[in-house]
Amino acid sequence: MARDNIYQEEEFPSPLVQLWFYFRQSPVVKVGFGCFIFLCLLAIFSPFISPYSPIENHLDSILLPPAWDDNGDVSYLLGTDNLGRDMLSRLIQGTSLTFGLSFIVVIISLVIGVVIGSLAALTKGMKSSFLNHFLDVILSIPSLLMAIVIVAILGPGLSNTLWAIVIVLIPQFIHITRNAVEEEFNKDYVLASRLDGANSLRILYYSIFPNIVEKLISQATLAQSAAILDIATLGFLGLGAPIPMPEWGAMLANGIDLFYIAPWTVYLPGLAILFSVVATNLVGEGMRHALKARKEN
Amino acid sequence: MLLFTLRRFNLFLFTMVLLTILSFSLSFLFPGEQITNISGKINASPESIELIALHYGKHESILSQYWIYLNHLFKGDWGLSMTSQLPILDEIYNHLPATIELTISALFIAMIVGIPIGFIAAINHRKKSDDLILSFAMIGYSIPIFWLGLLAILIFSIQLGWLPSAGQISLLYEIKQITGIQFIDILLSDSPYKWQAFQDASSHILLPSCVVALAPATIFIRLARTSMLNVLETHYIKAAMAKGLTFRQIIYRHAIRNAMVNVIRDVGLQFANLVTLAMVTEVIFSWPGIGRWLIESIYQRDYTAIQGGLLALSCFIFLVHIFTDFVYATLNPLAREKNRGSR
Repeated sequence: MARDNIYQEEEFPSPLVQLWFYFRQSPVVKVGFGCFIFLCLLAIFSPFISPYSPIENHLDSILLPPAWDDNGDVSYLLGTDNLGRDMLSRLIQGTSLTFGLSFIVVIISLVIGVVIGSLAALTKGMKSSFLNHFLDVILSIPSLLMAIVIVAILGPGLSNTLWAIVIVLIPQFIHITRNAVEEEFNKDYVLASRLDGANSLRILYYSIFPNIVEKLISQATLAQSAAILDIATLGFLGLGAPIPMPEWGAMLANGIDLFYIAPWTVYLPGLAILFSVVATNLVGEGMRHALKARKEN
Repeated sequence: MLLFTLRRFNLFLFTMVLLTILSFSLSFLFPGEQITNISGKINASPESIELIALHYGKHESILSQYWIYLNHLFKGDWGLSMTSQLPILDEIYNHLPATIELTISALFIAMIVGIPIGFIAAINHRKKSDDLILSFAMIGYSIPIFWLGLLAILIFSIQLGWLPSAGQISLLYEIKQITGIQFIDILLSDSPYKWQAFQDASSHILLPSCVVALAPATIFIRLARTSMLNVLETHYIKAAMAKGLTFRQIIYRHAIRNAMVNVIRDVGLQFANLVTLAMVTEVIFSWPGIGRWLIESIYQRDYTAIQGGLLALSCFIFLVHIFTDFVYATLNPLAREKNRGSR
């Protein structure tokens, strides 16, 4: 007798593939993800696609409005600023500064936070309680104030502000890693591999990390939107990127004095920051929804 | 409740110790001489530096130096500001009340606007209005605060001319500083133009506090929405429905109260974020608060001011944190039970 239904080859997609399946269900999230990829590409290829150099002055065309204005010039699509620098090129190059650097900042603090957080999850008792309180205190200090203090120690400048933001972001990664690892450690599959004789580090690496990686990514998107805003804020306050750099916050601060004559020098960098933060938040939101949907099914 | 209070007190002590260690170590970390950073006395002669060093116990071990620093803090000697050569404590006393005013009013605006909108979104779950509110919330907390402040000044103060764009009160009114909180001072003063001054001060605070409130309000929308959705799925709501209560009765009598409790728990956590926003807003609106003072002191490398400001501002945030914890514990017996260990 043919027993054709006894062995059916079923495909079990990995957690990440499942996540991707739920993630792409929502059209809004897909648009956000598209924008995110677009920004990433822009950040990588900005030196090749920007029409002019971001610090080149075109002294014969100062404060040109964008091309759709009557006085605009189509060779400067988004107009020029008070030193005749092309806004479009500056915005494109600013992507790699504000958006691209926020990406790097988040990755560095993610790695440091995950290492400290998982070590913290493995320790118990007094040390762990001390760490918990310590993190609470650090998290209760406003992020900008902390960044300002660190900038005061290191001195102003772009790389120093980046380190400051890395340090500011680390505690939340420690917090979330620690909680997630502790939660996973109480589950049965960890017990199973412990009974097989695996030590804690092996369990952490082979069993737990694959299961908490999405949580970390979703926290990373939150952290990235905070990092973009922090980099731009410090740039705006004149503590971040130095003057000629086309960092969006610094560009905006540069445009304030001309707000009434040349409003596009303020509108455009602000819109660029808003666009990148919304795109990042949409990706994060989609990720959290997908996580929830996967858990429910 | 006693144990809860003790725990909070314990946490408060621990935090204070950590914060003072942080601000003490900052005097070593900042560029320049530690003794100048901690006392704020610049251009002192070698003899007076020697005196100050003795005063701060410079020649003793690091632990006793810290202990001496703590004694100084408790005696109210926080050093001098390096730029103005005024005592830091006086500077903080001049600037902190304005920040307290701004942040507290922004917090109230955020709660009053955000929480009801969040409840409405939850009641209309998965309908058009829910989506609309959520997308508004998304834009609201993505908007860079300095840009929003500039746009608000452009629209409401310059184009429409409705509200003033800078400062705390018009210079025409002379208000004596009694408590430091402007509104209380106005009410306490015996000026014949009390009410005009009051109106002027409220029109000054409206724009900056709305700018600060936008991002926290959107976070409250999301918190209130999630908490209301959770409450609406509980059994007691189903029981109330089975008894035949109308939807309105269920919402007003049962759901709102229980959903509010969970929102209040997170108010304290949002407060640090709100202070960050307020610091930037103070710069844009020339608000004479501690945030603007701190940012200016970093331009002028006034390290004593940064140390003192950090300590004062974090203390304030932590006190608000503990206060909301107490409100939460008073409102929610479950939080107290858990701390005692439920049997």
